[in-house]
Amino acid sequence: MSATAFGWLILLFPLAGSILIGLGHRRWPAKTAGWIGTAAIGLAFAAAIGAFLSLLGEPAEERQLTSSAWDYATSVGLDIQLGILVDPLSVVMCLVVTGVSTLIHLYSTAYMVSDKGYARFFSYLNFFVFSMLLLVLAGNFVLLIVGWAFVGFASYALISFWYRRGTATAAGMKAFVINVVGDIGLVLAAFLIFREVGAFEYLTVFEESREHFETNEGSIVAICLLLLVGAFAKSAQIPFHTWLPDAMEGPTPVSALIHAATMVTAGVYLIARAHPLFELAPTAADIAAFVGLATLIVAATIALVVTDLKRIIAYSTMSQIGYMIVGVSIGAYTAGIFHLMTHAFFKALLFMAAGSVIGAMAGNQNIDRMSGFRRAMPFTSLALIVGGLALAGFPLMSGFFSKDEILVFAAERGGMYWIFAIGGYAAAFLTAFYAFRIGFRVVLGEPCEEAKEVERGGLAHGEHENPATGEKEDTEVGFPGSEHHIAERAPGMKIAMGVLAMLSIVAGFIQLPGVTAGMEHFLEGSFEESELFHIVPSEGSAYTGLLIGGLMAFAGIGVAYLVYVARPGLTGRLRSRMEGVHGFLQRKWYFDEAIDFLVYRPAIKLGQFSNNVIERVVVDGIVSVTAGAVREAGLLVRGAQSGFVRAYALLVLGGFAALALYFLVVSS
Amino acid sequence: MLIAILCVPIGVAIISAFLPSRLVAPVSVLGSLVTLGLTVALIAGFDPGVPGLQNVVDEAWIPGLGVRFQLGIDGISLFLVAMTALLWAASFAWSAWRMPDRPKNYFLMLGIGEFAVMGAFLAQDLLLFVLFFDLMLVPFFFLVGSYGTGDRIKATIKMMVYTLVGSLLMLVAAIATAILTSETTGELSFALSDLRANVLPEGSQDWIFWFFAAAFLVKMPSFPLHGWMPDAYRSCPLPVLALLSGVLPKVAAYGFLRVVLPIFPDATIQFQELVLVLGLVSILYGSAMAFAQTNVRLIAGYSSIAQLGFITLGVFSLSSDGANGAVLQMVNHGLVVAPVFLIIAVLAERYGTEDLREMGGAATRAPVLAVLFLIVTMATLAMPGSANFIGEFYILNGLFDEKTAYAVIAMAGVAMAAFYALRLYQKTMHNRLPAGVESREMSLRDASVLVPLVLVIIGTALYPTLILKRGEASVQDKVGAVTAAEEPEGGLAAKP
Amino acid sequence: MAVEWYLVLSALLFATGAAGVLLRRSPLVVLLCLELMLNAGNLALLAFARSTGTEDGHVFALVVIVVAACEVVVGLGLIVAMFRRRLPLNVDELRGLKG
Repeated sequence: MSATAFGWLILLFPLAGSILIGLGHRRWPAKTAGWIGTAAIGLAFAAAIGAFLSLLGEPAEERQLTSSAWDYATSVGLDIQLGILVDPLSVVMCLVVTGVSTLIHLYSTAYMVSDKGYARFFSYLNFFVFSMLLLVLAGNFVLLIVGWAFVGFASYALISFWYRRGTATAAGMKAFVINVVGDIGLVLAAFLIFREVGAFEYLTVFEESREHFETNEGSIVAICLLLLVGAFAKSAQIPFHTWLPDAMEGPTPVSALIHAATMVTAGVYLIARAHPLFELAPTAADIAAFVGLATLIVAATIALVVTDLKRIIAYSTMSQIGYMIVGVSIGAYTAGIFHLMTHAFFKALLFMAAGSVIGAMAGNQNIDRMSGFRRAMPFTSLALIVGGLALAGFPLMSGFFSKDEILVFAAERGGMYWIFAIGGYAAAFLTAFYAFRIGFRVVLGEPCEEAKEVERGGLAHGEHENPATGEKEDTEVGFPGSEHHIAERAPGMKIAMGVLAMLSIVAGFIQLPGVTAGMEHFLEGSFEESELFHIVPSEGSAYTGLLIGGLMAFAGIGVAYLVYVARPGLTGRLRSRMEGVHGFLQRKWYFDEAIDFLVYRPAIKLGQFSNNVIERVVVDGIVSVTAGAVREAGLLVRGAQSGFVRAYALLVLGGFAALALYFLVVSS
Repeated sequence: MLIAILCVPIGVAIISAFLPSRLVAPVSVLGSLVTLGLTVALIAGFDPGVPGLQNVVDEAWIPGLGVRFQLGIDGISLFLVAMTALLWAASFAWSAWRMPDRPKNYFLMLGIGEFAVMGAFLAQDLLLFVLFFDLMLVPFFFLVGSYGTGDRIKATIKMMVYTLVGSLLMLVAAIATAILTSETTGELSFALSDLRANVLPEGSQDWIFWFFAAAFLVKMPSFPLHGWMPDAYRSCPLPVLALLSGVLPKVAAYGFLRVVLPIFPDATIQFQELVLVLGLVSILYGSAMAFAQTNVRLIAGYSSIAQLGFITLGVFSLSSDGANGAVLQMVNHGLVVAPVFLIIAVLAERYGTEDLREMGGAATRAPVLAVLFLIVTMATLAMPGSANFIGEFYILNGLFDEKTAYAVIAMAGVAMAAFYALRLYQKTMHNRLPAGVESREMSLRDASVLVPLVLVIIGTALYPTLILKRGEASVQDKVGAVTAAEEPEGGLAAKP
Repeated sequence: MAVEWYLVLSALLFATGAAGVLLRRSPLVVLLCLELMLNAGNLALLAFARSTGTEDGHVFALVVIVVAACEVVVGLGLIVAMFRRRLPLNVDELRGLKG
């Protein structure tokens, strides 16, 4: 089978799964939805492997294959096909997405078991995977936008999955609206591209743009900046990032899949895919890299102080995506995508482990209340440590190789790009610190009440409360489910986490600098005409970079050990000494407040102004004035109708006399 | 074929007026389904390559005044006619499931309404068009006035006065057009093809353009002539509102494309910017108002103002893809807004109120309703993947070349639409149920009307080319008539 | 006899009748004066008919007489009805048709 045929299959399986579950869930026993969903993604993964192998069979220069299903919107000069592009970049993305999704589906079959919305969950989750795959496989900008929007929609549906919770629906709305802003950026970019180049198909646009645009010409920079608006909104980069922490309202598998491994990486994919355009507009690429740098530092600082476990991991995601954005913006495509892959593994693992811990804590997500789970939940603790090591970039873990490759590349490009290397290493220190903030806090120390409960063989049960606001949950409808699940007792969860843990450890070896470089060779098919792709750092600088990275990891873990284990009161003393800074970080650098002030309030005010002023005064006013004028005129004329017969008679005679006189005068 | 499409609604309506009350509803529904079938047959038999009229009917009617009874269909009106038949069938069916008092009068009026709208879409003679346009108002007068709720008399009178002022101006303009044209040709004729061939001098075109525009802008409604909308939308019975919002505004937009653009090209070019500004303001104003409303009907109503603003932008972009997008969007908006009002009807019955602040949690135990509403909401906000997105894409792309600023500002309307549409969905479907309200799935009867509509929405979303391709040739023809009249200053050719 | 004499008489009668309609308050008198005006018109018609020698004037005068008769019937009927309802028989005070 050809690669494109596999491509269509990759799309078909999750969509079929979603529709099947949606239509049939009443008739089949409850668990079937989970199995259908997992099987659908598993088949998609198999198809992705098929596409991968099929591409390997092609010679390296001819690995960009397109296929079109039908004319989607073709008329008067616009030609928008329902077409896919199967090339190394999209295949790598498909493999990552389907692979990690299969494991997360497996995890969910156990995690979501007591939830009445089980079937709905899997239907939405399958639809999400379909959307993400559509985004990645799209062969033209319009279909990209369609996939982009579907992903946003699926994200909304899954964030507000427990829709009886006010916080969840609000978070969903926020995510969706910010997403739409990103969509607008992409649509405007598409208009500009069409105006300049006259096509929407990727391959056509990229070829034409090389001839059509001069480097850093106004329009190409504008196109790239608009694409960045979309990318940043989806990938939660500053200033479009405020939706991501709130998105933790969704169930943990959702956070693992969407907000760690797949959806948020769409922005990275976009920049990598549109690299010919970005290479023609270095200004825009540099802006992207700086935004990525800013995000990775800001997010890391916030992750130091936030106390909700899932939110720490969410900020960590934001930060790591910042690395990836820096990577693909400065030209380190292999490194960026490589980090995308390894990050998917260890971040999903971390979320899954967090889900297990939160299950043990009966829904409580406050890290200050967790401690000492090493005896109660050894598997989960191990998963947390492995994930933390990979995140911190501990030597030989996958994160070690992937993160540092980006920074080495930055150093290699030299000049201004050193700032990325320096900033990246500094943040790596912070990353290691907060990764083990989680690790040490949860795993070591005296077991908390809940941990003791688990050791005894039971499971803590809390009042069903919304973890964010403490509001009583509405449990009669059956979701969220009343039972909590931990990995130790659910084989599905264990298997998924185990596989991811293994991958977090070994995946690094695919792309060892100078040794294997497997990914680099494969991706060459997509990036061959790029100059930046072919910059390969020397082995010496690569090893130096790895060394520094390892040092940062050790330093960060060491300081975390110091702060959280060796000297427990230290954090309290630091906090009281640095109230201001702590508060600032705790409020997430005041971004939410800023957006509320700059965007949301004015919009509401505009609505109210329109309603009260324009509608009542102006529009109705015009009508009332007119009606009033007509009425006044009527009243005036009314005066003539006195009911006084003699007056009427006088009028008749007088009028007649006047007429007669007139004619007499005129005719004489 | 066209005569049949025109006569079946009115025929069935008149016949049912003589039937016993319990037969009225089924016969009317059957009649509307027959009309629907005829329109589908019309689509099947349509030849996409021809830019001119097809299935032409041409009879002399009032020879002394030069008025002919001329009907015809082309790519622009093809799907509008089909949409009209579909929405009227839905409205008939919905009303049949919830019998109103005095059913005979109700169904008679609905039938006359369908007849009038079909006539307006099919007419190729100016006076015939004006006649049907004005006739459209009569049944709605009765439907809102007799069967409405709340302050219906005031609402009806307001609607009547606004629309009639516009219609009166349009009548004057139509007569003037024919007479002024006859001064050059020597022969009085109201046929659109004749009027098009002999363009009037610019001075006359200006005021005639605005008189026609007045009538159309009131009907759409467009800012600032939308004052009748809130009251009318509050009082109108919901199945009728689906038609008032879904079909009637499209006749106005269609009127621009069919009558104004080809016959008054110079005025169109001269006033293009002004009308674009009106459209843009409608989008922004409608969206801003929809933000702040608490009555669910008015959210949909102001949203319609915004959507019609987009259609105005498309028609006056004076580019083929913009206008083609506008035609697609006319069909899309009708398809989407009707289910919205029908779902509002379901919700209003459930909650006993139309105030958004008193609703919530309807999705519990009602997954089918929730999914249908979600699909409709996503289509309303023109989420990429829906046909509405393609319509807006085409419109804004058409606008982008020459009038970039308008396109960019209009995108703000897209963002606002996402917010207010989702807010409507969330506040009704999500969060907690208010005390004392039971949540249950919608009945099979309601589903029998809503599900086909949503299926059509999904179908158009998958293959919008169907509508675009058919409209292509006719749209290029109409827009070409305008751009051909422009001075050759920098060569504004119709976009290929 | 020259036709002018008849016309002057007709005009005098018409003026008298008009004055009566305008100045008198009793509806009965107003009706009488109205009759006077009508007959003045008749006189003028007959004078012209005689002077030109055609019959049109005669015919039209007959029509006027018929119409006058009908109008008197209605008018008198109204006055009788007013009397029966004890309404003031004063034209100034009957103002029900005020706008």
